[in-house]
Amino acid sequence: MARTEKKALIFSCGFRFAGSDRFPSEKDMAEIETLGILDEIQSIVSDKLQVVSYKWLSRNFLVSSNTAKRLLQEFVEKYGDGLEVIYSLSGWIKNNPSTYHIRLVSKHKLSDAKQEFDGDCSVQVYSIQACLPKDPATLWNHEFVQAEYLFKQPPTLDNCLLDNRFCGVSSSFIKRIGGEAPLGTAHQTMAIPQLPAKKVQQSSPNAGIDFTRAVKTESHVKVDRDPGVKLAAGKEKVPLILPNKKGQSDKSSSGNGSALASMWASAEAQICARESVDYGSSEEDGEDFNVKRTSNGEGGRKRRVVFDYSDDEDEYRDAVSLSSPDPPKKSSLCNSSFEEKENEPKINEVKQEDVEKVSAMNKGKKNESPTLDKPQSPVLEIDASVKGKVTDAVPKRRKVFKTRTDERGREVTEVVWEGEEPDAKRDSNSAKTAENKTAKSESISAKTAENDLVKSESNSGKTAESNPVVKNATSRAPVAKKSPAVGNTAAANKGGRGGNKKAVNKDPKQGNILSFFKKS
Amino acid sequence: MLELRLVQGSLLKKVLEAVKDLVNDANFDCSATGFSLQAMDSSHVALVALLLRSEGFEHYRCDRNISMGMNLGNMAKMLKCAGNDDIITLKADDGSDVVTFMFESPTQDKIADFEMKLMDIDSEHLGIPEAEYHAIVRMPSSEFARICKDLSSIGDTVVISVTKEGVKFSTRGDIGTANIVCRQNTTVDKPEEATVIEMNEPVSLTFALRYFNSFTKATPLSNTVTLSLSSELPVVVEYKIAEMGYIRFYLAPKIEDDDEDAKP
Repeated sequence: MARTEKKALIFSCGFRFAGSDRFPSEKDMAEIETLGILDEIQSIVSDKLQVVSYKWLSRNFLVSSNTAKRLLQEFVEKYGDGLEVIYSLSGWIKNNPSTYHIRLVSKHKLSDAKQEFDGDCSVQVYSIQACLPKDPATLWNHEFVQAEYLFKQPPTLDNCLLDNRFCGVSSSFIKRIGGEAPLGTAHQTMAIPQLPAKKVQQSSPNAGIDFTRAVKTESHVKVDRDPGVKLAAGKEKVPLILPNKKGQSDKSSSGNGSALASMWASAEAQICARESVDYGSSEEDGEDFNVKRTSNGEGGRKRRVVFDYSDDEDEYRDAVSLSSPDPPKKSSLCNSSFEEKENEPKINEVKQEDVEKVSAMNKGKKNESPTLDKPQSPVLEIDASVKGKVTDAVPKRRKVFKTRTDERGREVTEVVWEGEEPDAKRDSNSAKTAENKTAKSESISAKTAENDLVKSESNSGKTAESNPVVKNATSRAPVAKKSPAVGNTAAANKGGRGGNKKAVNKDPKQGNILSFFKKS
Repeated sequence: MLELRLVQGSLLKKVLEAVKDLVNDANFDCSATGFSLQAMDSSHVALVALLLRSEGFEHYRCDRNISMGMNLGNMAKMLKCAGNDDIITLKADDGSDVVTFMFESPTQDKIADFEMKLMDIDSEHLGIPEAEYHAIVRMPSSEFARICKDLSSIGDTVVISVTKEGVKFSTRGDIGTANIVCRQNTTVDKPEEATVIEMNEPVSLTFALRYFNSFTKATPLSNTVTLSLSSELPVVVEYKIAEMGYIRFYLAPKIEDDDEDAKP
């Protein structure tokens, strides 16, 4: 951007006359600048790996777009070997003679693409770059940044977009006073007498005007536009129109087309433009333009805010579709955040209900030992509802709560697997399986638990020994016994856990898949 | 005699990568309908079910039902020797205790044979009933993987709550809490980017995150993942394998605390 700024400044002091009065002939310009510019292009393309399009070149070096194209052409001829070149082809397409196509093609597809055109087509260098970008948007990215920068400059500062000096389309009705002049728009072209597009198209690139205004003749362009800017261009004030717009309207390569098109206009600008195109007078257009401008500034749509000088209907369409999704998204975001808020309480309620349900189920046990961290399996309901003797979901074995009163008058609840003998057998057989390992650790942890119990309760040790799985639910000292088991070691946890499951989980609350699926 | 030829060999590689962290040894069951696996992790909290239908193979020959016990770590080692474009053929003879993996490069100029010993694995096959789930969430698999990864850096467990408007993943850890809400979103460029929630009634379940993180190893197999939740059932995390079948992970929920304070 620094470069652009510099150039713009230079321009404002040095070249002002040129823009306001008359173009220096392209030839002169080219001769003056060519050598230096070619070197610069070289370094930009190969060192910075930047895409250099004729538009960018034109604005950056303040040459007319045709000169820029010619420069690129020269550059390609001289150094084009290691480069990728994108050409813009324009002409009448064979398949559908009624449409005029402008197409961007890479150099190795050039000859094929030419075949698709009916008769001659104009071939110009659109851009050069070190490699073909994956994303076609890369092609216009630098142009966009540049254009955005130029548009953001205060209106008092002169720049080439503001006074439209490189545009081949001008209208003598537009008056510009310094930088603040009401800006002409693309629609000025309407005031210009019309020429058949084809003629223009066939004029050589260097002729100065083959500006792609020809696009207008495309089938879906409603207003008949004048490609023949040439006449007007010679006159004087060059209306603001960007010198060239090329190749955006190729419908067949819509990917390219839309991405490129979006550089030309923000959605609003395009819509306005479209409307005004329909209505017509150039004065109205001028007003439109100002309005657009402010709204662009406020809108903050950085990416797409570009003035639309284009009169290519096809572009409008593409770009509009690109931009329009934004507002709905925003609104949906808002909506949804509301929904979310409403949502929240519901979830909580549900949770509470669940909790209540669970605690209700647990009551049988829980009322005896409220803080006791009982093994809570997903089969809890069953456990609770038929406290005492309950069949587990697993058919072969049954998990049973046995509650009895020990000799010291405390209530002891044991969880026992009934019918465990076959299980035990199988476990011992399948020495490899993880189950067995867990069974081992279970018994170890059972012992740990046992020790704990022994401390507080002399009899529970026995229980623990006799049953691999013991749950102690005495109402007297549940916390004292339980907390070490839950909090201290994994082994202790396993002990607590083992109560419900054959397999051992570190987390006492983790459910077991075997509680849900039956062995087949 | 068993001979399965899978043109898209990378698929089998991905399957193994998805399963091997969860399960050490497993039986692969081959029948006329397809190639399947069902195994629990060692803690019996999660279960993985894999199905690759016979139609998905270029050539599928399975004369009689056969169950091949394999160490998945070893199998993964062997499959790592296959290129991503290779065609993988699995071969086993009746009564043989080895399985052969044959890798052919796409150009047929390189053919590799790997033979792996089979093992006897005593595994239980679980019957998984078809169930109606209260809520089914379909979302981009990468999104789900990201959520699990992010949440596991905060806490150990995740609460998945589904309501009409969205699915919420929340966790709590020493450093704080995290909540991620994914809203139903069907206006996307590509269908696989959509988040779709079908819900009959709201569900909220708690799971251990580390299992989810091993499930998400299956992310390369599919662009989308489906979570099926019911309050009394394990969650099903399903990755569809295009034109072949699926890999499903079942995870038993954790029991909701009714008193947080009891937990140290």
